[in-house]
This record gives sequence, C-alpha cells and structure tokens, in this order.
Amino acid sequence: MTITGNLTTATHLHCIPSIVLPVMLLLDYQNALIQSLLTERFSGAPPASIDQVVSDFDGVTFHLSTPESKTKILISINVKCYKELVQYGAQEVLEREYGPYIVSPEPGYDFSVQIDLEALPAEEEARNDLIMKLALMKRNAMAAPFEKAFDEFNKLAEEASRYTSESAPQGIQEGGEVMAIHYREEEAIYIKANWDRVTVIFSTVFREETDRIFGKVFLQEFVDARRRVLTLQNAPQVLFRNDPPLELANVPGLNASGGEVSYVTFVLFPRHLTPQRRYENISHIQTFRDYFHYHIKASKVCGSS
Amino acid sequence: MSQSLRPYLQAVRSSLTAALTISNFASQTSERHNCPEIEANSSPEILLNPLHISRNENEKVKIEPSYNSVRISIRIKQADEIEHILVHKFTRFLTQRAESFFILRRKPVEGYDISFLITNFHTEKMLTHKLIDFVIEFMEEVDKEISEMKLFLNARARFVAESFLTPFD
Repeated sequence: MTITGNLTTATHLHCIPSIVLPVMLLLDYQNALIQSLLTERFSGAPPASIDQVVSDFDGVTFHLSTPESKTKILISINVKCYKELVQYGAQEVLEREYGPYIVSPEPGYDFSVQIDLEALPAEEEARNDLIMKLALMKRNAMAAPFEKAFDEFNKLAEEASRYTSESAPQGIQEGGEVMAIHYREEEAIYIKANWDRVTVIFSTVFREETDRIFGKVFLQEFVDARRRVLTLQNAPQVLFRNDPPLELANVPGLNASGGEVSYVTFVLFPRHLTPQRRYENISHIQTFRDYFHYHIKASKVCGSS
Repeated sequence: MSQSLRPYLQAVRSSLTAALTISNFASQTSERHNCPEIEANSSPEILLNPLHISRNENEKVKIEPSYNSVRISIRIKQADEIEHILVHKFTRFLTQRAESFFILRRKPVEGYDISFLITNFHTEKMLTHKLIDFVIEFMEEVDKEISEMKLFLNARARFVAESFLTPFD
C-alpha cells in the first residue's frame, strides 16, 4: 500500500543507524581564509593588490590590504575584548610572536603586522611557518590570559610546595585573581589560577529553548565522558551549572538571574599545564564555545528535514 | 509490544472501524460543494460524538466522526523535554510532506501532536481496513522512532564530547 510505503521511507530518514559524522569534527585553530590567501601570495605569484575583510568566530575581523605597494601586505585584527587582553599581556605575546613584522595599528583595528613579500624567508618551511603564525593571530591574541594563568599556576605551585596544606598562607590557598575576557556580546571566559590547577569557565547563552535542551544533553556527556571512558581519565574535569560557580563569587556584572546563561567549567590539572602540552591545550580550549554550539546546530539540522 | 499497549491499540482499532462507516454527503450550505463536514462544522446534525481513548495522560487518541469524514488526532508519548522537541521535529517533518500521505492533516488539532483526516473519497479509493492498519502501524512505530532518535542524539553528544576531550591527553 502506497501510504505505508511512504511512511516507512520518511521515517527511515530519521533513524540512520550509524552516526553520520561531519567531516569537520574538530574546528581548526587557524583562519583558513587568511591561510589560503597568504599561501597564494607567498607562492611567488605576481604581486596583486588585496583589500579583503575576513571574519572569524567571536566577532573577530581581519583586514588584509596592500595600502603602499603590492608587495607589502598589511594584516590587521579587530578583537572585541582587545582592551582586556592587553591588560592580561596580549601585547607581549603578540610582540613575541610577530616581533619584526609589527607596525602601528591601522585605524579601526587593534593590532597590525606588515609582511614584505620581497623579504620573505628563503626556505619553504619557514615561509609555511610564517603563514601559519599569521593565520593563528586570533588564537595568539586570545592566548595571553591563558599564558598568564599558566605562569601564575607555576609560581603558586612553587610557593605551595614550600608549605604543608595546613600552614599555607591564605593567598596561596585562594589562588590568583579571576581574569574575565568578554569576548562576545553576552558571553565571557573566566580564568583563574590556583596552586594545583587552572580553572577556565565559559559562560554561554542559549538563544532558543531547543538549544538549551540540546546543550544540556551535550554538556552532560562532557561531564560524564571522563568518568566513563578509560582513555579520557587524563582529560580536564568538566562541570556545568546554570548559576555562577563559586569561583566567580566576587566577579561583578554577572547575570545572576540565571535561566538562559550556563557556566561550563574546565579544570585543567598540572599535567595539562606542562610546557610541552601548553601550546596545544591553549589552542584547543579556545575552540570550546564554537565547537559546542556548532555541534548543537548540526544535530538540530540532522534531526529535522 | 508491551502488555498495556495491546489493548490500547485494539481499542483504537475497533473504534476506528466503527467510525469509518462514512459515505458521500454534499454540502448543505453551498450548492455543488462537498467538503469534509468535520472540518466545515456547518451543522451539528452531521457531526457525531467525539471519542477519546487514553492510555495515560501523555498518550491519547481523539476520534471525531462525522457523516462524510473522520478526524483522528494522536498525542505521542513525551517523557521529557528532549522527546518533546523530537516529537515536534518529527511531526513537522511529516506534515510538511502531507501530500504524500493523503490522509495526513497539515496541522494537528490543538492538544495533539498529529492529526489525520479521512474522508469518504479516501475510503472509496483505498481499503478501509488498510487505512486503519496504517494508523495503528504509525502509532506503534512512532514511539520506537522517537526513542531511537533520542538515543542517536545521546550517542552523538557522547561522540562530540569525547572527541573534544581526547586531544587534552
């Protein structure tokens, strides 16, 4: 019978038994557009004038242009929370990363570098490293507070090792100050260093009821993953709640009414803060918010027509 | 099939069999028109008493018979808010394709998740007992479908969470 036939085909669209995984599971740390643009420019193609605005996650915009001559590419970045980042040492981090290329910021942007195509590194590998470094500009700007917290952790851990847990002075027990980065309109990252861990708290807003419920399912899995999977025993501990966690008790301007704001806490343990793991983990934890929301949206699309 | 589902479906089947004794009926209000009276609601004498069959407060069926048409509304089990969203998505998926289902109503009756409208033209073209089979089969399948979707969502969330946490090792 035709109706029954139609019903079964329609319903089977929903119950694709195997998990159809998106090809893009984890997000890249670098900006793909900047990467491809520069790769093309650096490859020895005839110089051309560029004037392109590139958007990234979290309202970050880049401007690539050739204001003086076709061989000099100016790359500027605009980050919403740049003032806060500077406060936590973004300037030093960026100077360390882009030292010789830094020029005074383009009007309307926070930070600029200029690359002279005629003075590129000779080796292919060094050129690729430079491209990658430039494509990671957002990551590097955002990394400053994380680096500061990790350094603070090292300092506190060293101090704490001199005391037993009973005799430790108050300051060490409480840990460092909470660094707040308001990187989106209503959302923020809070970072706090302690002598035995670094706590990273994401506040996130769900626009719709469906997002909130799906978000809850996803966050529950983040919380449980560590307990359930043996190989994830070493992953950071994840906690989530709908009211501000205790770490943020003294932070002003939090929306205490709760409801649509959720707080996701990552507890990074000393093994995540070692110099070897540091770079990778800073990059990775930055992508959490976008990764999380991306997968909520993706599962909404898959669940309906 | 669980023990309490069988009598529930049996009750729906018998009630539908009884309700689906419908025949052609021209409109009394406008000449040369012929519309499903249960929808037109033009005169109370053509409508019959609606029937409610409830398995529990979350799962029920409403059958509204009339002289030439029967409207069947189903409330699908929704144990929690995830199931509520999934049911909504699922029924929307179906109602957006209502033409291919012939008897599916584009909009559910208030308080229910999905409605079917069977007119005398349907019963003339198709076998009545097969139509009833279809409705019953739908009711059987839909719960299974929703819980499968829920498991799928959980599996997906688990995979996403594990993939994010793995690089930290």
